[in-house]
Amino acid sequence: MNYPVWNVPYIGSGLVIGIVAIVHVLVSHFAIGGGLFLYLTEKKALREGREDWLKRLPGYSKFFLVLTGVVGAMTGVGIWFSIGLANPAGTSTLIHNFVFGWATEWVIFLVELSLAAAYYYTWGRLPSGVHVRLGLLYAVSSFLTLVIINGILTFKLTPSSAWLSVAGTGKEAEHFFEAFFNPTYWPSLALRTLVCISMGGVMSLVFFSRLDSEKEGEVKRGLIRWASLWLLPAFVFMPICFIWYLSMVPESQRELLSLGISTIGVGAFTQVTRLTLIAILTTATIVGVVYFLAFLYPRDFEFGHAIAVLLLAFLATAATEGAREMLRKPYIIFDYMYSNGTLKSAVGKCNEEGYMVHSPWKINEGMFESGNLRGSLVMELGRQMFLGQCVSCHTVDGYRSMRDFLYDRDETAIGNILAMMRKTGEGSPYSKFMPPLVGTDEEIDALKKYLVSLTSPSKGKGVMEVTSGERELQGIVKGN
Amino acid sequence: MGKLLSEEVKERKSGAVARIYQWVDERLGLSEVIELAKKKEVPEHRHSFWYYWGGITLFLFLVMCVTGVLLLVYYRPGDEAYESVRQITYDIKFGWLIRSTHSWAANLMIGAAFVHMFSAFFMRAYRKPREFTWWSGLVLLILAMVFGFSGYLLPMDELAYFATKVGLSIPAVIPVLGPWVADIIRGGPEITGFTVSRFFALHVVILPALFIPILIFHLILVQKHGMSVPDGEAKDVRTIPFFPNFAMRDLAIWLITLNVLALLAALFPWKLGAPADPLKPAPMDIHPEWYFMSSFQMLKIFGQLFPGAVGEFLGLAVFTLGLVLWFLIPFFDPKTEGGLRARATMYFGLFVLGVLVITTIWGYWALPSTK
Repeated sequence: MNYPVWNVPYIGSGLVIGIVAIVHVLVSHFAIGGGLFLYLTEKKALREGREDWLKRLPGYSKFFLVLTGVVGAMTGVGIWFSIGLANPAGTSTLIHNFVFGWATEWVIFLVELSLAAAYYYTWGRLPSGVHVRLGLLYAVSSFLTLVIINGILTFKLTPSSAWLSVAGTGKEAEHFFEAFFNPTYWPSLALRTLVCISMGGVMSLVFFSRLDSEKEGEVKRGLIRWASLWLLPAFVFMPICFIWYLSMVPESQRELLSLGISTIGVGAFTQVTRLTLIAILTTATIVGVVYFLAFLYPRDFEFGHAIAVLLLAFLATAATEGAREMLRKPYIIFDYMYSNGTLKSAVGKCNEEGYMVHSPWKINEGMFESGNLRGSLVMELGRQMFLGQCVSCHTVDGYRSMRDFLYDRDETAIGNILAMMRKTGEGSPYSKFMPPLVGTDEEIDALKKYLVSLTSPSKGKGVMEVTSGERELQGIVKGN
Repeated sequence: MGKLLSEEVKERKSGAVARIYQWVDERLGLSEVIELAKKKEVPEHRHSFWYYWGGITLFLFLVMCVTGVLLLVYYRPGDEAYESVRQITYDIKFGWLIRSTHSWAANLMIGAAFVHMFSAFFMRAYRKPREFTWWSGLVLLILAMVFGFSGYLLPMDELAYFATKVGLSIPAVIPVLGPWVADIIRGGPEITGFTVSRFFALHVVILPALFIPILIFHLILVQKHGMSVPDGEAKDVRTIPFFPNFAMRDLAIWLITLNVLALLAALFPWKLGAPADPLKPAPMDIHPEWYFMSSFQMLKIFGQLFPGAVGEFLGLAVFTLGLVLWFLIPFFDPKTEGGLRARATMYFGLFVLGVLVITTIWGYWALPSTK
């Protein structure tokens, strides 16, 4: 067994990554936008002689340091843990292609963290001009982390034709720069930069909304208004950048966005459309609330309002990141690797020779005797097929529950669905958003039997419980 | 005295905007309305949060009006009801979104109306001079629930059919008149396309014709008497201007409500079940919508305690008596804080709230599992 199977009951591994990633995106974008905010606010306060602003900035930079240094760093590591477990094949491909990119990012990340700490601890200890330049250095270094990670993130959706032409040959690193500066790199960088600037504004609203309207009314008025203005670039340029981004997305993936416009029918993949609608509405609401409340009536802008804006920002981030991830379906790396780790180029081979033979889990060992499947292990083979090809997106009983999908369907109906899912292209309506099901007839039949067991009145066992078949298989492998 | 707001607006706006504003203002008197709204004060205290629930309910009603009109474009009552809702849900662009938004807004609106009613009750907002505000509010809530009941059948899928069948069995237990009333509502002995047509007329013509004037009456009374200050708060409590301060907060809350609604509609779109088939047995877990669950469960309890029609009739009678007492509360507790009646009213309110919550949870708990 090369890799563990990471099955998270009820919520699934994908959702774990999603939850960790959303928090990380929110905080890391604030780390960039907030850094720029601190630098420009300090500079503006010095230039305009606003002593009252300068008094509040050390507290703000402490809040900034703790939030980005602790939550940001922890969730960043959390993403590594979770993606490595949920999709080891995809993570491995990214590491092999971008090892130097990531190494560079980590170095810059260390510089960024050190500068954030230095910036906070040197308030009042360095000449103001030097302190402002320290802030500028921090802002630049944090932006550079985005410049790098953006290349790796966008690669997954648009890996570039140059990289795809050598994918799987071992020569991928020769096309590092084509893969890195891929077609969606620049629009994505522009979009994320706008989000960073907005997050700088949103978090500043949260911090400064706690100022007392009675005693600190004037300074609150100034800082809340200034923070509100940070949402202006996003309001003006985000629609343009979004259209630019979509224009660079492959047409087959763009279609996923329109799948949910006219239907929510069973079997239709509508999540991208629905999430995009939420993203647009929440973003528009943030701009509306900030303008009508924070900008027009800054002294009345309270902590509760700011938290509401932050929650909306969380929703907008969740919806946008969710839609972006799903826009890549059925791939984890477009046109190269499916979301369950199966290589596009290996589909034919898996159908002819068997999925288990080519599975990285190597559990076929002991399952066959003289080329024939041991009769008592049919259900175990079906369960392993389910683990290998389904659990990266489905759970048995929770998120995208397989039992709910299969509800009321008999063996013939399940067999028909599986037969359809083996087809690619126009042959299957599922092929637009689900990897083709691969394996020999015998393997598919075993999967069918396992899925039928999930619909039986006894409901079958949980997917990760040790079955009698698994015990038998372990005994055969160990030679007992 | 400071400048009039109209003058401020004129000063702030320039060029074309100012001219357009002036043109409209001269004809409609916008400045007078703004001045009036500016003079209105809203008390601010630790219970102010509850003032927003009436506005939330109103906002959700407006959303329902807009989405309802859009659904009217494609909905066909009668025998084609199911097919038209199938087209809306599965074929027409954003049809599923409009239908989901309409259904979710209906549920949220009734939920918000319940919160608004109980907050008004516990803040003693039914006392003089607000008795008519209390009564009109109660009528609006009852009408909203009838809106929900009549709208539930319109898709004519399996769940709608059987839930309506169960729902109509409730008035049928009223002695003498009950079966006749149920027949009139159904348009015959069974639920058919005729029933859908009747419910449709009720849902889009009769109920709005009743609801909208009462709503306007309710809003006029709220404007006339202002917000009541609950017991325990100082009489010289701090106030804020309705416009722009309170209105802006209301707007923000409406925007957030819109987001919650959009989130629910997009992430949990309203599904359509199989077409209704009267020959099929009713699903095991058939039940009414959540806002009728309490009365449904109470009828079940009375039915178990007193088997037969007597139990159902007794249940209905107790429920009706409770509703009448709820209406008459302004007469029972007309005085101000501290009295025996005030305490008794509060315990009565807590009792009613407890019964509603417990019987609703109990009702869902007691449903047979279908999985």
